[in-house]
Amino acid sequence: MKVTTPVQPVDNSPPNLEGFEIKGRPFLGFGLLMTTLIGTLAVLIYFGAWVSSDRIENRASAAGIPESQAEGEWWEEGLVFACPLH
Amino acid sequence: MRNAALWLDRKFGLEEHTIAHYAWLIVAIAGIVQMVGAAIRMAFGVLIDPLVEAFGWTPGSIGLAYALMSIITALASPLAGYLGNRYGARKTMTVGTILFFTGMMWTSQTKEIWELYVAYGIVLGISQALLLVPVVPAVAAWFRRHLGLGTGIMMVSWSLGPALVVQTLAVLFATVGWSQAFMVVGTVGTVVLLIILLFFRNTPEEAGRSAYGTKSSDNPLVTSGNVYVKTQKEFQRFVYKTNAFWNLINIHFLGCVGHAVILVGIIPLGISKGLGPLTAAGVLTTVSIVSMATRFLAPVLSEKISAKAVMFIAFFGQGVGVLLLFTADSTLDFYIFAVVWAIPYGGEGTVFPVLIRKYYGYTPMGTTYGWQLLGAGLGMALGGVIPGMVFDITGGYSWAIGLSGAFSLAGAVSIILLENTHKQLIPNWPEMEEQPGNPAPIKQQIETSPVSGD
Repeated sequence: MKVTTPVQPVDNSPPNLEGFEIKGRPFLGFGLLMTTLIGTLAVLIYFGAWVSSDRIENRASAAGIPESQAEGEWWEEGLVFACPLH
Repeated sequence: MRNAALWLDRKFGLEEHTIAHYAWLIVAIAGIVQMVGAAIRMAFGVLIDPLVEAFGWTPGSIGLAYALMSIITALASPLAGYLGNRYGARKTMTVGTILFFTGMMWTSQTKEIWELYVAYGIVLGISQALLLVPVVPAVAAWFRRHLGLGTGIMMVSWSLGPALVVQTLAVLFATVGWSQAFMVVGTVGTVVLLIILLFFRNTPEEAGRSAYGTKSSDNPLVTSGNVYVKTQKEFQRFVYKTNAFWNLINIHFLGCVGHAVILVGIIPLGISKGLGPLTAAGVLTTVSIVSMATRFLAPVLSEKISAKAVMFIAFFGQGVGVLLLFTADSTLDFYIFAVVWAIPYGGEGTVFPVLIRKYYGYTPMGTTYGWQLLGAGLGMALGGVIPGMVFDITGGYSWAIGLSGAFSLAGAVSIILLENTHKQLIPNWPEMEEQPGNPAPIKQQIETSPVSGD
């Protein structure tokens, strides 16, 4: 439907909200987002540490040395250190 | 043209709805923009082998460009949404088109790996955000009512676009080579975008028309000027204070991880279970085709029934549906999975604009939607790496399937915790005075009230 374009307001007054306010904080929504973030990081650390320990183990067996003596990359050691399950 | 549309209206006996409305042209333009935007992402799958062959780069180092593009697009999404609100979707998408042309041409001339990262990863990544984010809120501005119908029709292009683009690219790569293919797609895509953007209008008022579904008792909404900018800033502050704003980012992230794992992993999983490459690719094509139906239906139903319920069913179905893959080991099993899983998957991502309208009324949704796409983009990036990573560790895909289900079901639980959609969470967006020559907004209803719907 073709209509006459309305003249849009151009005054400088702020929107009249008659005191509308949201007093509470979005703890639930933000908390859920943070929980997801932390959970995702935990999953990534777990799988990353799994990959890292596999790689270190493979290098150790290829070199014929015990795993404890095999040197890992910085990120491999970091992930294994960060994961309490590896 | 208009006469033909009016004739169709009469032919179909349409009363409440009409084909003769400019909003449908906006929806069609949005669909084409989404298809061209999707070309950026889809081009990558067919780009890897030619680049390995031409330059000897490893698939891993080439894949980094894709990961970079996904992350850049995600990070640029909130800004793209804000720019769409502030300067209009048309201007924002025009800048996106210029970047699209630059990125495609530069990628076609790439000689060093860093050039691929900059041209494809950064330039096309930003371009994709500028094209894909503002277009959905712009379509929403064209629908005073029946937004679900408009969104549903537009979202079909999410399935249709990739199917067309991948085929076109595959033919071009085989006939003229990867470099020329990028130049052709870049040039044709840019010309198409520039032409259709000539017909694009940010708001109905800008086109001198009324939004779809406007009743004679409705006053026009404030869509430009100082009051528009100030009110937008004020209202966005309210939006940030609602649980729904943060939870919807969370939900979009969880849903996207859930389906990205399957979309990326289904072909290698099928091949590992003895399916041929073509048959396995057919599973993905089936998912695309079947999901078209629910991409359309989910937003329509969410407006009629309950957006939360529709979204919950979609997430729950997506999460539970993947369980079928644990026992799938024949072609039939995989195709049954494709059909069963595609139904909820199609409805998972398309309800968001309707839900935003329910919570925040006619407040321009660019910034809010942009933040949600940040979650979606990061989810897609993460979900894309999970299957390969899991396969490298375990030699199978069971963990990946389990993770996909877990993320989707976590999304379903988060949906339950969303606010009720019967009441708007912030004040109504201001409407214009009825009297000509008096432009001050009058209908600033502070009491939150039910969203005017069908």
